[in-house]
Amino acid sequence: MSFLAPLSLLLGLLAAPIIVLYMLKLRRREVQVSSTLLWLMVLRDREANSPWQRLRRHLLMLIQLLLLAALVVALARPFWRVPTVASGTLVLLLDGSASMQATDVSGAPTRFEAARAAIGQLIDGLDASGSMSIILVGHQPQVLATATGDKAGLHDVLSRAQAGQGEGDWAAATALASGALRAGDAAHSVVVVVSDGGLPANLPPLPAEVRYIPIGSAADNLALRALAVRATPAGPQLFASVANYGDAARTVIVSISINGKLYSAQQLDVPPAGSADMVLSSLPSEPAVYQARLTLPASAANASSGRVDALPLDDQAWAVYQPPSAGRVLVVSPGNVFLEQVFAALSAQMGFQPFRLKAGQPLPPDPFNLYVFDGPITGTLPAGDLLLINPTTNSLFTVGATFTNTAVTQVTANDPLSQFVDWHGVHLLQAHTAQMPAWAHVVVAAEGGPLIFAGETDGRRVAVILFDLHDSDLPLQVSFPILMSNLLNYLAPASSFSAPDGLQPDQTLHIKLSGGETNLSVDDPGGGHTAVPADGSFANTGRLGVYSLRSNQTVLGNFAVNLFDPSESAIRPAASIRIGREDVAASSAQEQGTFEIWPWIAAAAFVLLLIEWWVYHRGMPAPRLRKSAVEA
Amino acid sequence: MIFDEKTLRKLDRLALAASQVRAGQIKGERRSLKRGTSIEFADYRNYTRGDDLRRVDWNVYARLERPYIKLLEEEEDLAVHVLLDASRSMEYGADFDTGNEARQKFGYAQRVAAALGYIALAAGDRLSLSALHGETPVDQFGPARGRGQTMRLLKFLQDLTTSGSTNLDAALRRYGQGPHRPGLLFLLSDLFSPAGYRDGLGQLQGRGYEVVVLHVLAPDEIDPPLAGDLRLIDIETGAPQDVSLDNPLRELYRKKVTDWCLEVEAYCLKRGIHYVAVSTGVDWDEMVLHHFRQRGLIK
Repeated sequence: MSFLAPLSLLLGLLAAPIIVLYMLKLRRREVQVSSTLLWLMVLRDREANSPWQRLRRHLLMLIQLLLLAALVVALARPFWRVPTVASGTLVLLLDGSASMQATDVSGAPTRFEAARAAIGQLIDGLDASGSMSIILVGHQPQVLATATGDKAGLHDVLSRAQAGQGEGDWAAATALASGALRAGDAAHSVVVVVSDGGLPANLPPLPAEVRYIPIGSAADNLALRALAVRATPAGPQLFASVANYGDAARTVIVSISINGKLYSAQQLDVPPAGSADMVLSSLPSEPAVYQARLTLPASAANASSGRVDALPLDDQAWAVYQPPSAGRVLVVSPGNVFLEQVFAALSAQMGFQPFRLKAGQPLPPDPFNLYVFDGPITGTLPAGDLLLINPTTNSLFTVGATFTNTAVTQVTANDPLSQFVDWHGVHLLQAHTAQMPAWAHVVVAAEGGPLIFAGETDGRRVAVILFDLHDSDLPLQVSFPILMSNLLNYLAPASSFSAPDGLQPDQTLHIKLSGGETNLSVDDPGGGHTAVPADGSFANTGRLGVYSLRSNQTVLGNFAVNLFDPSESAIRPAASIRIGREDVAASSAQEQGTFEIWPWIAAAAFVLLLIEWWVYHRGMPAPRLRKSAVEA
Repeated sequence: MIFDEKTLRKLDRLALAASQVRAGQIKGERRSLKRGTSIEFADYRNYTRGDDLRRVDWNVYARLERPYIKLLEEEEDLAVHVLLDASRSMEYGADFDTGNEARQKFGYAQRVAAALGYIALAAGDRLSLSALHGETPVDQFGPARGRGQTMRLLKFLQDLTTSGSTNLDAALRRYGQGPHRPGLLFLLSDLFSPAGYRDGLGQLQGRGYEVVVLHVLAPDEIDPPLAGDLRLIDIETGAPQDVSLDNPLRELYRKKVTDWCLEVEAYCLKRGIHYVAVSTGVDWDEMVLHHFRQRGLIK
């Protein structure tokens, strides 16, 4: 046993005052009595009968000295050497993603709690010169503690950390860790990643040694990976897909509820590492919230537990169905059979009315919900949402020369405009370069420049396709109607409010309303109530479930946030992680940490204090002292 | 004022009960076991030569034709002695500091002595009252008889003070050897006498006194309200005694006091001495009027 603060042992000299005080305490108070005859006899009897009574007088002092010794030793912070994964200057990366809420760890309710316990041990093992920074890796990584050796403070921030329901942004987290390392002595620092894996493969290297504490044990997980309800000519149609990330085939029941009432249940056999889909047609045409939930068939071994797998977050999903409203779309084209066909097909499904106008003709005075310009633009652009295909320079942006290196290199992830669109088989002859306006973001880009961009400016939404559809085989592929459907959903939403399908936790939702509603707020699934900022961007989507958008207590619409994230649903803990070019395997307890035992000694001191109190009061009960009887 | 008028009136109605006293010198209001010349009939005996012919019962002679002398009870006065321990230990009591003498042992004993003296005077008994200091009875009152001596008695008692220590043995012996007519003797003392008291009591009994020990103790002496590390100073001798008073020791002391009192009582019982434990916690007049009457000291 060693001491972190050995100088505190000097406080042991306080024993001297205690002894002196004890001796002073024995300065007896003089009291007159009528006779000491009986007292003499009593004392003689007592000494004859109880020789240890004299010793008992010193028991209190003995206990007080022991109490002092315990306090002094506790202040000197004694410790034992214990093996630990890392010690010294540590930067902790604590995985706070959805998969950390898996319940496959024995001895802890969730993986996150197990990770918390592992970090707690590292905190306890910090030596006197050690320090620790803790970064919680969630959608937005948070620095919980910065290079501090205050164990109580570290335990405190750790106890308040919570796992999110989305994925973690490891790139940002490693950037934060790099910053923390560079601020200190990076060469002697250690980065400890406490995670169940699932880190992206392209993380940049860190300027310090990295160690990895894997959390979790099971891989068995079923997940609802997709749930969508779309309008078809035959009525709304629901599509659900269940993925099996385990090693064994599973049978699962998918229950579909509409507005909270069970509508249908279907049993699916899901092969290992595969998926199974289900489609429900002819659903009620009213607006509704659909919920899909996975349950085990009654024959399953663990059906009674009510839990399908270790990660319950992805065992349910929600979808919001809003019937299409009648919108008017004006297609200005010199004649494009692809556009005509796709608009004819989508008009029935999405419920809008397409109007055609030959290029060069004056625009009708009646306003349209959406203007589609195919080819060069002449005259001023109308005030309304715009879809510009192969445009020329106009008042919104400048179009440059053509380029031919058109291999698709970038598809913006999680962008509802590119959702479900497969660009792998798409070939392009040429496209135009364009000067990207500030309000737009790239949806798809090729080597030579952006191919599709979209954005919102002056209260209207604009999407631009920078190539001629005739210069591409895109219109011949399945992706074309999907792309157009996404674009039309974005540009001419079916209702006053329409949220994209597949909104994931912590994703920002841009709320665009046509009616000029005010006092917008959102009710989240947890019962919270959040006002929507003036710019319409709502980012408080951390919880899975159905959110309601309100304007002055009137519900404008609902939107659902679902996990739908294969990297989080695949809960198999990774044996190693890759940071930079280095594969980091699970680290063992290879260093000597410290295990402080002062809390136990302090507890012993407290017990001694209680004993001292008990001995004092047992030996000397406070009598009913009458002043008159005691001569001061 | 030691007594108020109301208490005096109460006392007036009481008389002392004494069963084993010897005859007094003058006739008092008490019947003697000796036959005498009063008017109360006691017995007959045969006439012998020299008997006063006036005491022959002629009615009996007429009936039996034998002369019988009529014996009459002789009424006698009782010699009542009250000995008051005036050592400093008697100063102790619950209200030692506050000056409430009624709860102080000596003040209490003064009042009890006054009560007994008053009752004796009122009954026409011959009263002697002495305070015991050191080895001798120093201050003495009486012998006196008659209610007219009451004020003198009270004045005498009021002027008494405590001092030093009392050697009870020697003082009682000295009193017994004094020129007193034996009678009923009340000893008011706490019996805290290092030299003891038994020889003195024995001496008094040997001289024909009927002894009543009124053992005066304060409640604080029976259950001392003390705790902690103390230096007990003997009020009489000034001798210190260090004691660390904890609960077991207090318990031990209480037991010791009880045992001591029982021991004194057993001794008295064995020797035919009346023993009454007098706690100053009980009002003195209640002690006299109820407890003494209960014990047969007053009828």
